Amino acid sequence: MAPELPPTNGQKNEQNGKNNFAVKAGLAKMLKGGVIMDVINAEQARIAEEAGAVAVMALERVPADIRAQGGVARMSDPQMIKEIMDAVTIPVMAKARIGHFVECQILEALGVDYIDESEVLTPADAVHHVSKHPFKIPFVCGCRNLGEALRRISEGAAMIRTKGEAGTGDVIEAVRHMRTVNAEIARAGSMSDEELRVYAKDIQADFSLLKEAAQLGRLPVVNFAAGGVATPADAALMMQLGCDGVFVGSGIFKSGDAAKRAKAIVQAVTHYKDPKTLMEVSMNLGEAMVGINCGKMDESEKLAKRGW
Amino acid sequence: MTVTFPDITVGVLALQGAFSEHVQLLRLAAKSLEQRKAVHVKWGFIEVRTPQELATCDGLIIPGGESTAMALVAARSGLLEPLREFVKVLRKPTWGTCAGLILLAESANKTKKGGQDLIGGLDVRVNRNHFGRQVESFQTDLSLPFLGDAIDKDSSEPFRCVFIRAPVVEKVLPHREGIQAEEAEQDATVVAPAQTPADELAKEALQSEVEIMANISTRNTALQQNQEHEHAGNEDIIAVRQGNVFGCSFHPELTADPRIHVWWLEEILKAVQRRQEFVDRTVLSVS
Repeated sequence: MAPELPPTNGQKNEQNGKNNFAVKAGLAKMLKGGVIMDVINAEQARIAEEAGAVAVMALERVPADIRAQGGVARMSDPQMIKEIMDAVTIPVMAKARIGHFVECQILEALGVDYIDESEVLTPADAVHHVSKHPFKIPFVCGCRNLGEALRRISEGAAMIRTKGEAGTGDVIEAVRHMRTVNAEIARAGSMSDEELRVYAKDIQADFSLLKEAAQLGRLPVVNFAAGGVATPADAALMMQLGCDGVFVGSGIFKSGDAAKRAKAIVQAVTHYKDPKTLMEVSMNLGEAMVGINCGKMDESEKLAKRGW
Repeated sequence: MTVTFPDITVGVLALQGAFSEHVQLLRLAAKSLEQRKAVHVKWGFIEVRTPQELATCDGLIIPGGESTAMALVAARSGLLEPLREFVKVLRKPTWGTCAGLILLAESANKTKKGGQDLIGGLDVRVNRNHFGRQVESFQTDLSLPFLGDAIDKDSSEPFRCVFIRAPVVEKVLPHREGIQAEEAEQDATVVAPAQTPADELAKEALQSEVEIMANISTRNTALQQNQEHEHAGNEDIIAVRQGNVFGCSFHPELTADPRIHVWWLEEILKAVQRRQEFVDRTVLSVS
């Protein structure tokens, strides 16, 4: 259960400056309590919309396929993203490679509603992330821990998600990342200003953002779960751990009955505190995605390690 | 005159979207009312996800979010018909912001393929995503006639209005017995189903005139760069009221400013009082 996020959030001083941070973070707030689904064409986007998705993530290959096929994963063809934008009325997000600010410029020109600077694609820069404040389009970025989350927010991310381990259908990494963020925020919450300054240095985070998170008892922007969510129970687990909403990537369209599973996950995110509803929506969903056990993966295969 | 109010419960529809922000501002508004106007009411502010929770409410806020997702989840959670009953049969005070305004409209266009469910209650047609996609989202300070006094801010000061993929009221419709039949005949327009009000008081509110509460000028500086927003006319309607149902296309829940919530809580107090007087009258005439 996520602690309350104040109506004005994150980047206190940027409320009215820097390309309307309030407007960027505001859209993320409208997505709270909802499910964002990966889709690869207009037909899947329509299924997601009918299932009650609050947004779709347009990409050429879902993470499970990127993993299986290998090679360099890049921004999707803008034409394909455009078709998805034309097919649905809900917000459309798209992924750019870490550090690839020109892919971001192209996505902005296309008019997508959110950009995911994502470790699921092959990084374009081994050192830098995109400077996100100058863009009019808001960004969501992945994190494994508090320091990484706050670094992304200071670069201009208006929304955060756990990295988890995309394309595996194994929720363990998403849980690890969420628990890590929670534990670090709890720790920061008990610190004096002097201690917070040292801690900010340790986790390589901006002091004022760290202090804000410590005071709020949560990240100062909307925080979704991502990377390995495959069932309604997984989604509700992440919500009970304190996420504001859930991304489902390969979990839906790599399963037996995509439409039914998508609806069930949407219901599970709204009624995440109600085990009876969770029980009902978990029935007869058909086959879940087969998945990969993260514990048996080679470290070099982990996508979450991308980004710094 | 001192009026003693019963305990009042205000719900915020919590299927999806910015519901916790509304709850926080309601708490702040109650505090403002107490400090500025010495209004002492025992308020309960709750999140509503089930028909049972809705049944305990004296007033309801439908927050910003994705209206399609909310309508689908409401239908699947068995909440759509209870919501219609709340707004159109019992006609209790209801306020919708952005997605909430869409759901409260009797008619909406530019909805998803195959349309979407509406609750209804406001005789207007809304145009979904009127200003365009997220790139065209904006914020601007406007003077509004429906503000109360907050602890640190008077009603006379302008209000920061945040528009996110926002709808507008495209047309005010005449009230109809039954559905908005002419609207239903238009292409790509959905309408809400008709309901019969429970009593005379509900009927009166349901049939009252739609008041335009706020407009935004198309010459507003925040709209100068907008590519998708060229149309005839100088203004767009961004807030309307019909009896005790109110809708606005922007997001007061994305500011720390509780002044609209203060105003609305005062409106709820008036509605509760009207309801009480109506019940007293009915009891008298029966006995």
